[in-house]
Amino acid sequence: MNNIKIKSKNLNVYYGDKQALFDVNLDLNEKEVTALIGPSGCGKSTFIRCINRMNDVIDICKVTGNIEMDGMNINDKDLDVVSLRERVGMVFQKPNPFPKSIYDNISYGPKIHGKGETKSELDQIVENSLKKSALWEEVKDRLDEPGTSLSGGQQQRLCIARAISVNPQVILMDEPCSALDPIATAKIEELIDELKKTYTIVIVTHSMAQAVRVSQKTGFFHLGKLIEVGNTEKIFKNPDNKMTQDYITGRFG
Amino acid sequence: MNIVLIFLITIFSISLFFYGKSKTKTISIKDNIKLNALPKFYGYYLVLWCSIPALVFLLVWSLFEPVIIKSIIIETAANQGATFNDKNEANLIYEKIKAIHLGTYFGDIDSILKESALAYAKFINLFTNSKVVLIFGIIIASVVYSLKKIKNNNKARDDVEVILKGLLFVSSLIAILTTLGIIFSLLFESIKFFSVINIFDYLFGTNWSPQRAFVRDASSITVAELEELKDAFGFIPLIAGTSFIAFIAMLVAVPIGLFSGIYMAEYASIKVRRISKPIIEILAGIPTVVYGFFAALTVGPFFRQVGENFGLTVSSESALAAGLIMGIMIIPYVSSLSDDVINSVPQSLRDGSYAVGATKSETIKQVVIPAALPGIIGSVLLAVSRAIGETMIVVMAAGLAANLTINPLESTTTITTQIVMILVGDQEFDSPKTQSAFALGLTLFIATLVLNYIAQRAVKKYREKYD
Repeated sequence: MNNIKIKSKNLNVYYGDKQALFDVNLDLNEKEVTALIGPSGCGKSTFIRCINRMNDVIDICKVTGNIEMDGMNINDKDLDVVSLRERVGMVFQKPNPFPKSIYDNISYGPKIHGKGETKSELDQIVENSLKKSALWEEVKDRLDEPGTSLSGGQQQRLCIARAISVNPQVILMDEPCSALDPIATAKIEELIDELKKTYTIVIVTHSMAQAVRVSQKTGFFHLGKLIEVGNTEKIFKNPDNKMTQDYITGRFG
Repeated sequence: MNIVLIFLITIFSISLFFYGKSKTKTISIKDNIKLNALPKFYGYYLVLWCSIPALVFLLVWSLFEPVIIKSIIIETAANQGATFNDKNEANLIYEKIKAIHLGTYFGDIDSILKESALAYAKFINLFTNSKVVLIFGIIIASVVYSLKKIKNNNKARDDVEVILKGLLFVSSLIAILTTLGIIFSLLFESIKFFSVINIFDYLFGTNWSPQRAFVRDASSITVAELEELKDAFGFIPLIAGTSFIAFIAMLVAVPIGLFSGIYMAEYASIKVRRISKPIIEILAGIPTVVYGFFAALTVGPFFRQVGENFGLTVSSESALAAGLIMGIMIIPYVSSLSDDVINSVPQSLRDGSYAVGATKSETIKQVVIPAALPGIIGSVLLAVSRAIGETMIVVMAAGLAANLTINPLESTTTITTQIVMILVGDQEFDSPKTQSAFALGLTLFIATLVLNYIAQRAVKKYREKYD
């Protein structure tokens, strides 16, 4: 069993008057893939957006309770969000490369954080990030082309490379394959397997098969509550909760 | 007479609508057949058939009737011994005859005029009567035709569709033809102007003083006069003044407009936005003449006062005052358009930037603005063409003298101001001075057209980025 990287305790999230998460207690292990499953609107995405404070972007969103990374309170008002997000990268549902060149897409983060002072250092970061996201071979000769000119799957790997470029410890993935075809999905899953050696990964997914394939630990959310969490194998073979059983066998959701 | 006819056609059409509706209903019930369209479509069908041919005929008739009567009358007058040398004198006689007929002519009436006036009355009567007869004939024919169609249970719904499509097509045709008409009238008058003044003298001349050509018929200009006029129509001071004032206006409007657009799109809370956006847009609704007298009466003298305190001579009508106020007028265009453009940058791009740890201003500067840039350029170019075409503020605040200067404290003038100056007051329509207004208008039109085209291309390019 790996160390606990992120620990949430009695985490509640409100959008205005509506409560989106109810007392979520969930631990995420270091260098492991945790999959979050559940029907749409159940709070999976809301939960991972608490980890890098992306919910700050939404004015009406309010987070209470405790969420810690390596003992540091993420929900602390005085926390430097910029340095938190440097340590917790995120990949979104729809590939969202900037309308810049492939190179600039990757170098954007490091430049902001003052990494890679010289051109050659920056080149190195770009190359490493693209290699880690298994995109280097496909794009090494056309780094000045716009990121938007890549195919959907390549764009998503570009976004993963962008997240890796600032050398985070945790990568959050919000349904990263929902806009991709099966072949591109297979590539991303392969990549996730590789990345978990270095990073702690949380992936939100609607595909049970994907959760089984990529994750070691799975959490099932329903209506803002964490219903059950455990080893992926156990959750899918022998869940404790009836609702989990019903969801994974497709009886609702 | 025409109004009565239109009224009758309308009444007739409305009653036909109800007639057609109930008639088809009863047919369908009585004969137990399924109608090819809802009863109301038969009503519409009758209305359209009853009104359109008659109205079109009335319109065409009204266009040609005066022309035909005029030529007939002038001919009869000539036959009775009236003498006229050219078209203008013929027109004069026709106007006299018309006035006699209406009883508003108070000069001497000789026998020729009297006879012609009687003939005029006769023709007017004849034309009016035949107009009424023909219109009723057309209405009866088209109503009979359409009623017959209806009795055969035609596909009235499709037919109405075809007629409506035709109507819409004609409307857009009118819009296009009017624009073309304006362009051609500009073009032809400009060609007349350029037949007197060399186009290169116009385009590259540095002196603008069209008063020299006042009240001189283009056809009777002597060679010596022409030589003198050669350097009276130099375009350079005007384009320089126009660009200069537009430039000052953009210096004011672009930064303020863009920054307020960014604030509205990115920082303002919903509440602030809801209040302040309409307020900014009110600026766009203020009539330009109000800006104009504000510039002339408040800002201009204020600058002069300030200038005096610094020991500078500031003209009370200065390019600076006009440009500044024009810039303020344009702010809402830039701000509102760039606000829209920035808003349409997908949130996902901002999220992507925040997620690697960028702050809000870094995100705006490095992701949002570059992504929105083509659209912003488009909005700025639209604002420039607005600035170039603006007249009132410049007339009131920037002066009328065509100085070729880059000192913003002096008075200067623009193309639009000069067009106003040329066309105000008594005109000799054939003089090069008056025609120069058309040349200026054409030049201005081409300039704004090019700017608008570039702006639209920029905006289009922007659209392609995300779709």
